[in-house]
Amino acid sequence: MNSNAGQQKPEINRVQLVYASVLDIVSHAGMTLIAAGFLAYVFRLLPLTVSIEDIASHWHLRASDMNNILSVPTGWAWTQDPMHGDVLSFISIVFLAMAAMICLVAVIPVFLGEKNRTYALIALLQVIVLAAAVLGIVS
Amino acid sequence: MTKADGNNIRWFIAAVLLTAIPFFLSPEAVAAPLQAGAETAWWIWVLLLFVFSFFLGIVSVLAGVGGGVLFVPIVGSFFPFHLDFVRGAGLLVALSGALSAGPSLLRKGLADLKLSLPLSLIGSISSIAGAIVGLTMSADSVQLLLGIAIIAIAAIMMKGGKSGYPEVAKQDSISRALGISGSYYEPTIEKIVDWKVHRTPLGLVLFFFIGFIGGMFGMGAGWANVPVLNLLMGAPLKIAVATSGLVLSMNGAAAAWIYIYKGAVLPLIAVPAVGGVMLGSKIGARILSKVNTGSVRIVVIIMMVIAGLRSITKGLGL
Repeated sequence: MNSNAGQQKPEINRVQLVYASVLDIVSHAGMTLIAAGFLAYVFRLLPLTVSIEDIASHWHLRASDMNNILSVPTGWAWTQDPMHGDVLSFISIVFLAMAAMICLVAVIPVFLGEKNRTYALIALLQVIVLAAAVLGIVS
Repeated sequence: MTKADGNNIRWFIAAVLLTAIPFFLSPEAVAAPLQAGAETAWWIWVLLLFVFSFFLGIVSVLAGVGGGVLFVPIVGSFFPFHLDFVRGAGLLVALSGALSAGPSLLRKGLADLKLSLPLSLIGSISSIAGAIVGLTMSADSVQLLLGIAIIAIAAIMMKGGKSGYPEVAKQDSISRALGISGSYYEPTIEKIVDWKVHRTPLGLVLFFFIGFIGGMFGMGAGWANVPVLNLLMGAPLKIAVATSGLVLSMNGAAAAWIYIYKGAVLPLIAVPAVGGVMLGSKIGARILSKVNTGSVRIVVIIMMVIAGLRSITKGLGL
């Protein structure tokens, strides 16, 4: 460790600041969506694709077994019929799980602007891995 | 002792006692209300999960562990939800905690993007593999392995050391080529701390295994990320803790999608868990300086051992 007393605080890299700003917006939006979606779900403000009672009476089963009995939202299947309380709550979780990918997409141009092609490539590879998961290619 | 200190200690005692409640309930007692009145009991379980997660959030901050590592074994052993859904929720618990703390840690220069990206790239690939393997194994096998893993983690936590500012004499060629180094302002000593890392190749190998375990059991992996970053690679403790969260936000997201596609993420379980742990973490952060974190850590390690043993007996069908 080198410690430098009496110096000004070090400048934070621009890429980090961009990542932080995007993450700030995305995580706040995600938390708001999660709360709103869940309230719409449990208070049944919108119709449900599967009743809460049905979910509760099957939540002791394996996910695959529950899916054989009930049609709970999975992957991107909800896009066909999104206006349901349980689907809205599911969408909020989907959004939260995409947060890191959104932030990485935002910083790739910043890496390229700094002529840091190595990190632009690493960030792009990370986006590709996450996108493969998001699109269900590896599921 | 001031009135505020008294309130904080009461919060702490309440958190430990309420987090321990599931340990005093027999599985039969827990399952009975569900079987007797499945149509009306759902909200009781959701409310219990929220309250439990809230106090778990407090305890996990005080013990310096992520919520996910406690959430999965305890909820998986003592609540009526299948382990598939608990692991899906556990990943989201770990992920959301890392996401909410991220912006502030990045702006302070504590979470380092250049340090995290190569590690999370390796870790996210293996966490996807871990999630796929975990969801294809039988529930009993996962429960048994989870129990063994939790007891091993408790042992690591008990024995594991930490180093505030490890000495790194010479960077390895990978970290030098990638420019992995930095500096941050340390207010406790009023100095700028310069840091660099070494042993990056071994770190990358270990992050592959950590990612796999995290994806398989649906746990956050701060318990392993931090020692590897700090003790092995030589990152200062604060950099290790903050950057571990950044790695977790990417690895957790990759594995979470496998659970989402397999239908193992139920909003009815995941949302109260995420909300409870996040609210509890905020309270925990406020009372952190008022309680003896060493004692909390011991209580948490004991809880982990009990949850691990319960998981093993459940996995063996005993």
